[in-house]
Amino acid sequence: MALVLFLSVFLIAACGLIYELIAGTLASYLLGDSVLQFSTIIGSYLFAMGIGSWLSRFIDRALVSRFITIELMVGLLGGFSSTILFLSFTYTTGFRFLLYALVIAIGILVGLEIPLLMRILRERFQFKELVANVLTFDYMGALGASLLFPLFLVPKMGMVRSAVLFGLVNAGVALWSTFLFKEHLPSPLLQRAVCAVVVLILGGGMVAADHITDTADAALYADDVIFSKTTPYQRIVLTKWKQDYRLYLNSHLQFSSRDEYRYHECLVHPGLASIPGAKRALVLGGGDGLAVREMLKYPGLESITLVDLDPEMTRQFSTHPLLVQLNGGSFKNSKVHIVNADAFPWLEKNEELYDFIAVDFPDPNNYSLGKLYTTAFYRLLKHHLAQNGVAVVQSTSPMFARQSFWCINETMKQAGFNVHAYHVYVPSFGEWGYVIGTQGDWRPPTQLPSGLKFLTTKNVTELFDFPPDLAPVPVEPNRLNDQSLVRYYDREWREIVR
Amino acid sequence: MKPTRREFGASALVGLAPKTDRKTEGGFVFESQERGHLLRDHARLAAPRERVKVPVVIVGGGVAGLSAAWRLDKRGFHNFVLLEMEQQAGGNARSGQNEISAYPWAAHYLPVPDKNETLVRELCEELGLLQDGVWSERWLCHSPQERLFLHGRWQDSIEPAIGLTADDARQFKHFEERIAEFHASGAFRIPMEEGMAKSTDRERQLDRVTMGEWMRREGLYSPYLKWFIDYSTRDDYGTHAEQISAWAGLHYFAARAPEDKGPLTWPEGNGWIVKKLLAKLGKYVRTGSMVYRIQPAGRRWEILTEKTLYEADFVIYAAPTFLAPWLMEPAPPRWPIDSAPWLTANLTLDRWPANKGLEYAWDNVIYSSPALGYVIATHQSVAMHQPETVWTFYWALADGNAADQRRILLGGDWNWWKEKIFADLERAHPDIRQCVKRMDIFRIGHAMPRPLPGTIFHPERQRRAKLSGSLVYANCDLSGLSLFEEAQYRGVKAAEHVLRLVG
Repeated sequence: MALVLFLSVFLIAACGLIYELIAGTLASYLLGDSVLQFSTIIGSYLFAMGIGSWLSRFIDRALVSRFITIELMVGLLGGFSSTILFLSFTYTTGFRFLLYALVIAIGILVGLEIPLLMRILRERFQFKELVANVLTFDYMGALGASLLFPLFLVPKMGMVRSAVLFGLVNAGVALWSTFLFKEHLPSPLLQRAVCAVVVLILGGGMVAADHITDTADAALYADDVIFSKTTPYQRIVLTKWKQDYRLYLNSHLQFSSRDEYRYHECLVHPGLASIPGAKRALVLGGGDGLAVREMLKYPGLESITLVDLDPEMTRQFSTHPLLVQLNGGSFKNSKVHIVNADAFPWLEKNEELYDFIAVDFPDPNNYSLGKLYTTAFYRLLKHHLAQNGVAVVQSTSPMFARQSFWCINETMKQAGFNVHAYHVYVPSFGEWGYVIGTQGDWRPPTQLPSGLKFLTTKNVTELFDFPPDLAPVPVEPNRLNDQSLVRYYDREWREIVR
Repeated sequence: MKPTRREFGASALVGLAPKTDRKTEGGFVFESQERGHLLRDHARLAAPRERVKVPVVIVGGGVAGLSAAWRLDKRGFHNFVLLEMEQQAGGNARSGQNEISAYPWAAHYLPVPDKNETLVRELCEELGLLQDGVWSERWLCHSPQERLFLHGRWQDSIEPAIGLTADDARQFKHFEERIAEFHASGAFRIPMEEGMAKSTDRERQLDRVTMGEWMRREGLYSPYLKWFIDYSTRDDYGTHAEQISAWAGLHYFAARAPEDKGPLTWPEGNGWIVKKLLAKLGKYVRTGSMVYRIQPAGRRWEILTEKTLYEADFVIYAAPTFLAPWLMEPAPPRWPIDSAPWLTANLTLDRWPANKGLEYAWDNVIYSSPALGYVIATHQSVAMHQPETVWTFYWALADGNAADQRRILLGGDWNWWKEKIFADLERAHPDIRQCVKRMDIFRIGHAMPRPLPGTIFHPERQRRAKLSGSLVYANCDLSGLSLFEEAQYRGVKAAEHVLRLVG
C-alpha cells in the first residue's frame, strides 16, 4: 500500500518535470538562444512551484478532492501545453506571453501537489519517514523524466504527444486516488466520472496530435490539405476545395484541376499536332503526368520518355487514386518510360533524338533552376531534337513577368532555334506563355486530336498573337555565366506579390 | 590521435566526450616537406642505378614544365622526358576527386585571356574552350560568381558595397581611375615581360615602395578599400599590401582589360587543364623522380635522380627557382625572391549549412577574416539537386615573416588546423561543423613567389629570366607572379629557345 502511494509521488514528479522540459525545449526551438530560454523557464517554473507550495496553506478542507481536482487541471493544462504553444506560435503573436503564463500556471498547480499529498498521507506515516520517502520518490521521478525526455520522448513521440501522454498520467493518478482515498471522498462516483471525462479529452488529444502540424500547413494554404509530403527534393502539397484540386511544389502552384486542361492542352498540342509523323516524345519535368495524358491522344507516338527529378512525385502520380484520376492513369501506359534524373546532366549523357520535346520546369526563381533556361541548356536541347522536331518550353507569364518571358524567347533564339511565342489565359495562373523552338520553318497545326476542351483549329492560331501590353521588350539572353533571367524574374514577381 | 585509456573509459562510461559535435575525418595530403628538405640539408641520397641519354630534360611538372612539353610535342620534337618529384604532376594546378566531385588543391581558375595573350588563347582553342571567337559557356564561371560576408550578411561581389561613406566611394573611384591610367600605359601586361619593355622610371619607383606606402601617397585610407586591396594581394601573391611591391600590387589590377563575364573554371580548377595536357603528354612524364643534382659533364648536363642519371644536351629547369642553388653545380647565386606559405583544405559536406540572403556563389569571401574564403567545387555542376558538396578553403599565411609562418604551418597538427578553419568559417556559417564529414588539408611551404619591393627590377631576376645557353629557367617565379599565364609563357619560351638550338 505504501509503495503504491509513493509511486504516485514518483509519477506526478515526472509529469511536472516533463512539462517544464517541454516548455524549455519548445521555447529554444521557436525563439532560439537555448541557454536563455531554459534558464528563464526553469526559474519561472520553480518560482511558481514556490507560490503553489505557499498557497497550499490556504486549503483547509476536503484535501483529497482538491488534490484530485488539481491533478486533473495539471493533466489538462500540461497535457495540452505543447499543442497550445505550437498553435499560438502559428496563429498569434503572443507566443512568449502565453509560454510564461502557461509555465507559471502549471508551476503553481504542481507546487500544490506535494504539500497536499504530504498532508493527506500525514496520518499514515511517521513524519520523518514521510518526508524521506516523498522527497526520495519526487527526485527519482525527476530523474526518470529527465532521462526519458531526450532519449525517448523527443525523438520517438514528439512534443505534442509526449505532453498529452503525461497529461494522461496525471489524470490516471487522479482516477487512482479516487480508489485509494475513497473513504475521504463524499461522492467518489462523481469524481470518477469527472476523471473519466478528462481521460477521454486527453485520449482524443492523443489521436488528434498528428494533425496539429498539418493544421499549421493548412493555415498556409486556403484549402484543405489532402496530401502533403516532404521529399529530399521538394515539398509536395495537394489541396482540395469542392472539386478543385491544386498541386503546390515548394508552395508554388503547379496546377488547379479546374483549368489545368487549358495549360496542358496548350503546352502539348500546338507543337505536337504540327508534326504528324512524330514517333518519339520527351517530357522534362512534368512529373504530374498531365502533359503525358495529352500526348497519349496521338496514337502515332511510339514512346514517351518523362524525366523528372523526384521519384516520389512520379510514384504518387502513378499510384495515388485521386492523382491517377487527374492524369487519366497516363503513367500506366506501356508507351511511357519514367526516368528519375536531373534533366541537364541527363541530357548531357544521353544521345537520343526526339520528334517532340516538352520542357515543363518550375519557374526560374533561383540560380540552380535558372541553369535550365540558359543558352547552354537550349543548345543541348537542340542536339536532341530531330530535324523536323518541335521543342516547347513553358515560359512563365508574359503579363506578370514580361521581360522574363521574352528573355526565354531571346535565349532560345540565341541558342539557334527558330522561335514562336504564344500565350493563353489560364484562370488560376493568369495569362501564361510558351515558346516553341524549331530548326526550320514552322506553322501552327491545322488539325487537332478530337476531344479537346479548349483548343480548336481556329483559336490555336490566335494564341500566337500578342496584344500591345504583352508585346516583346528588349532583353538580354540568359547565360550560365550571366543569368539575366533570374534577375528579371525576381524583380518582376516582387512587383506584383504583396 | 589515439585516445588514452582513461579518456576512453570516461567517455565510454558516462558520455563525457569533450564535445558533442559530429566527427570530422581527414588528414594532411601530399606531405613532401621532408623529402624537399633533404635537398636543403644535402642529405645523402642514393646514387642512380641507370644512365639514360636523352636530348632534352624538363625538370618540374607544374604548368611551366607541362607547357614546355606541350610546345616541344606540338612542334614535332618528341625526344625528351619531364621529371616530376611528386607522384602526381600539375604542381599548383593539382586536383583531387571524391565520390561527390573533383576539386582543386590550389589554382582554381583562369581569367578569360584578352586578345594579346596569344599563347593562352592557342591552348584554349586546342582544348575546345574557345571556338570561333566564342568562349564555352559551360566552363565560364556560372552565376552567381562571388559574394562577400560583410556586416553580418552576404552582399553581391567581393568589392565592399554595404556601409560605405561618400568618402569611401570617392576613394574607390580614385583608385579605379589610377588603375585605368596604369593599364593604358602599357607597362602592366600579361605576360609581364611584354610590359617591362615599356617600363619607365615611374615603374621602377613603384617597385621600390610597398602597396601600402603607395596608397598613403595617393590619399587612399578607406578601411573598405584597404581591405579590398589587401585581400587581393593576399589572394594572388600570399602577401599583405603593406609588404608587397606596389608594382606587383598594381599589376594585379592593371594588367587585365575589364573582362566580360569570366573567369574560366572547372570543378577541379586548373587541374582540368592539367588532365587534358597529361592525356597528350603523359608519355613524357616520369613522376616520383626527385632531381637532386644537375651538373655539367663536358658540353652536356647530368641530371641525377635516385633511380636514373639522365644525360642531356639541354635542361629546361621549370621547378621552383629558389631550389636551384641546392641542386646545381656550380651553384648559381641565391635567388632573390622569397616564397609564401599557403594552406588549402578540401571540405566534404554531406549537407549545406543554413544560408540566409544571397544564394551560394562560386567564390565566397568573409570580410575581416585572415583567410581567403572558399570556392565551391560543385558550382559548375548543372545538376538541380546537389545534396552534398565540396568546398575548397584558401588561406595564405601572410602575416609577418614567411619563415615564421612556415614554422606555424608545419607546427600545427591536423586537429589544430581543422579547428582554425572551422573557427574561421563559423563567422558566416555557425553550423559548419555539423555539415563537414571530411576535411583534407594541404600544407604548401613554398607555394608561390612573394614579390616584395625590389624583386621585379632585381638584376638577378632579369638575368635568370634571360634565355641563353643549354640550361634555361622556366618557372613562373621568374616573373615574380604566380599566374597560370606566366607559367605557360615561361615554359613555352624556354621550349622555343631549346628548339632553336637543338636544330
